[in-house]
Amino acid sequence: MRTLLTRTAMPAFALAALGFAGLHPNAALAQTQQVPIPEEPSTAPQIEILGTGVATLDLGRSRNAVPGGGRASGSQINLSDTSLLVGAAQRLYKGGIGSLSVGGLALDQTNTGRGTQIFLHQAFADYQDQKLEAYIGRTDQPTAQIVTFPTLRGDDLVTFTNLLNPFSNGENVNEHRYSNVAAVTLNQKLTTFENFHVQHLIESADTSRGPSVGTGLNSYGVSVQHLGLPGLEAVEKYISYGVGYEHRSVGRAEGGSSDALYAGGVVNLKPSLVNLVDLRVLDNYTFGSNLSSFHDTSDTFRANSNSVTAAVRYLHSPFGKPAYQVSLTAGYKSYSKVSKAGSVGIALTGVKRLGEGFDVVAQYLYQHRDDALSSAYGGAREENAVQLGFVFNFDTIFNRTIGPRRSLLNLQHKYIPD
Amino acid sequence: MKLFHKSADEAALPEEPKSREDAPSDVSRRQFVTGAVGAAGAGLLLGQSAVPAWAGGTPAIDTPATPWPATFDVAGTAPPSPPREMPKAGDVIHKFEMEVTIGTHEILPGVKAHMFLYNGTYPGPEIRVTEGDWVQVDLKNSSPENHTIHWHGVMLANEMDGVPFGTQWPVFTKQNYRYLFRAQPAGTHFYHCHVMTTLHQQAGLVGSLIIEAKDDLVKKTFPYTREYTQLISEIDTNWARQSLNEMVGMGMSMNAMNGDSKLMSEMNGRMMGWFQDKGSFLKAIKDGYIPAYTTPKVGMNQVITPNFFMINGKSFPMTDPIMIKTGENIRVRLIGGGMQPHFLHLHGHDFWHVCQDGAPLASPLRLNTIPVFPGTTSDIIIQGTNPGSWHFHDHSDLSTTNNGIHPGGMMTMLMYEDAEEHGVKFKDAIQTNS
Repeated sequence: MRTLLTRTAMPAFALAALGFAGLHPNAALAQTQQVPIPEEPSTAPQIEILGTGVATLDLGRSRNAVPGGGRASGSQINLSDTSLLVGAAQRLYKGGIGSLSVGGLALDQTNTGRGTQIFLHQAFADYQDQKLEAYIGRTDQPTAQIVTFPTLRGDDLVTFTNLLNPFSNGENVNEHRYSNVAAVTLNQKLTTFENFHVQHLIESADTSRGPSVGTGLNSYGVSVQHLGLPGLEAVEKYISYGVGYEHRSVGRAEGGSSDALYAGGVVNLKPSLVNLVDLRVLDNYTFGSNLSSFHDTSDTFRANSNSVTAAVRYLHSPFGKPAYQVSLTAGYKSYSKVSKAGSVGIALTGVKRLGEGFDVVAQYLYQHRDDALSSAYGGAREENAVQLGFVFNFDTIFNRTIGPRRSLLNLQHKYIPD
Repeated sequence: MKLFHKSADEAALPEEPKSREDAPSDVSRRQFVTGAVGAAGAGLLLGQSAVPAWAGGTPAIDTPATPWPATFDVAGTAPPSPPREMPKAGDVIHKFEMEVTIGTHEILPGVKAHMFLYNGTYPGPEIRVTEGDWVQVDLKNSSPENHTIHWHGVMLANEMDGVPFGTQWPVFTKQNYRYLFRAQPAGTHFYHCHVMTTLHQQAGLVGSLIIEAKDDLVKKTFPYTREYTQLISEIDTNWARQSLNEMVGMGMSMNAMNGDSKLMSEMNGRMMGWFQDKGSFLKAIKDGYIPAYTTPKVGMNQVITPNFFMINGKSFPMTDPIMIKTGENIRVRLIGGGMQPHFLHLHGHDFWHVCQDGAPLASPLRLNTIPVFPGTTSDIIIQGTNPGSWHFHDHSDLSTTNNGIHPGGMMTMLMYEDAEEHGVKFKDAIQTNS
């Protein structure tokens, strides 16, 4: 699949020019990646390009917000979570679909002049047919797929909304959202899904053995998810929910293995074409760690904890199309073996649609940490931030030959892969 | 496949309308005349017998006294009977049931598509009645989208024309609508859904409507026993899939609203793009409604690019052949049931173009390629004069492909049942591309 992209990127005229110059056209192919069976570049896959631009002016950030005690700026022009994703998909001989997705994401440290500015958040190959899906590579953590919250960015209130990566040093918040995964997902009627996976959660934290350099599997788990019919949230009682279990093999010196149970769901409280209100709830419960105090930020990701997050969203669509949205997301987290380590987070988010996929946004973020937790965060007890900016989303498909797997037609009538 | 429920008074109607052999056999078939000379050498060169059977001359067709040219009548476009009449006692009424569902249709092995279906088939079942009789069709909508039936080419009462928001409300899910009209004028017609025609007709809701003349000028002139209906169409399976999904979602939303008074109160024409008149449309725009066709809404929309081209819902090599015998006339009714023009060419023969849009031409035209435009019908008479197996295909060659691969698409064969008797040896083979 890797050659699929590189060959697509090699224009036909370039190949012809090489041939004219006396080089065998395959000389160009020789510069691409090795594949088991080289193929003629004749089958054009479906190409999907997705982009999200999130640009905000942030005011009032905590000056001690950087994990580890570094001093952050009180304001910034924030580009984080801006991403570009390219996918290629192709029908296979027996009805399955093979695909590749690659994408990068801007980090919060983009302005700091240090660290990685672009994070490879998606790079995976995927096989799916009616009964199962299997994927391998860098992508969303399976534990982060039960519920997504209507905050401005995916990492807002991440300590409440995501099962945190116990191997992260906390400098890159996306280590809580993305990992290297090998997973198989079975389904019943494309409505109930069972995900069995192993992961390498990105290791960046220093351990008793020194800085982590491991790439091995350090987490595995299973989740079950039920999804309602797509596209009918406004008119039907739509309920989506899931539960999961995860085991993280944290070293004994770092508190020992950390297990997690998580459950959550989305329900629309008021189905309405014009005034839709829905509720999202997620609970992340971790256990098994021996940590009873925090020495650094990483410990806050490992220690036994329970976080509950809920969000209420109001979407106004006067002509059946979104016009504006207001949401309130709130989270509470406590640690069972560490006292005075509770925290509260709130995000009040407003979005006004100016055009298809283009929104003006405003968000107020508040976070409070009790003493023990604030110490681990360099003394940051309170964080307040106001963010104003624009968001641009697009999703464009070329060579459209493959329909959505969970289309209404496939769900309600006979499944047809294309 | 669910078939029509026919009334008792329709029992005499033909059962297999697409390949009829039940008409009175009034053709005296004369076998080909042998005796042509001078071709023996050619036969030798080809390594065949000294006088190959195919060199025996051109089979002849009986030439009955022709009633053509048709009488020119300056008032001829008027309906034969007043369209707004109702049936009277003693009139024949043919009663049919037509149910719309969503199902799958196989265009070719390995190529299936979700489609709207009339009575489970694509194209819908052929309706064949005699001119002047009444047709009653009870449409039942068992799909989540709205539908109608437009009777294309029929001169009927305005309320029966099947145009949503024009002559009737669309038929919503689980609703029924009864169409009743007199079958007139005679000729080859068709029917199709008139709701979002671009999608609904392309995605399956189309079928043939044959109104047989009591005194058929074509049959008098070209006596025939067999006839074929060929509804030609095309589909962009990718566009249709995407649009069908969107429409089904919208339909399900509407159905949910129909069952909920609170939701129903929120729905208004603006959401669906429905307006009472131009004034209310303009007012809605002033109030903030943004039409779906404007650039901010649609950007560069996906152009419909058909990738499968069909005859009676199948692409070559899965199209049904047209069978003929030497000396036989056959009638082929061509229906432009799609969105593109097609140019059907018959190898090895000329044929007579006898009717257009159902009506006999002032004089038949001798052609070997006939254009069939969307919404038109053309009747042709093929005469069995050249034994063999002959291609009959759209000569706009984009349409003789399957997903861009030649051969395929809008192509079939004219096959002589007695070809071997005349020395033509061919294998009944099909060709696809590897």
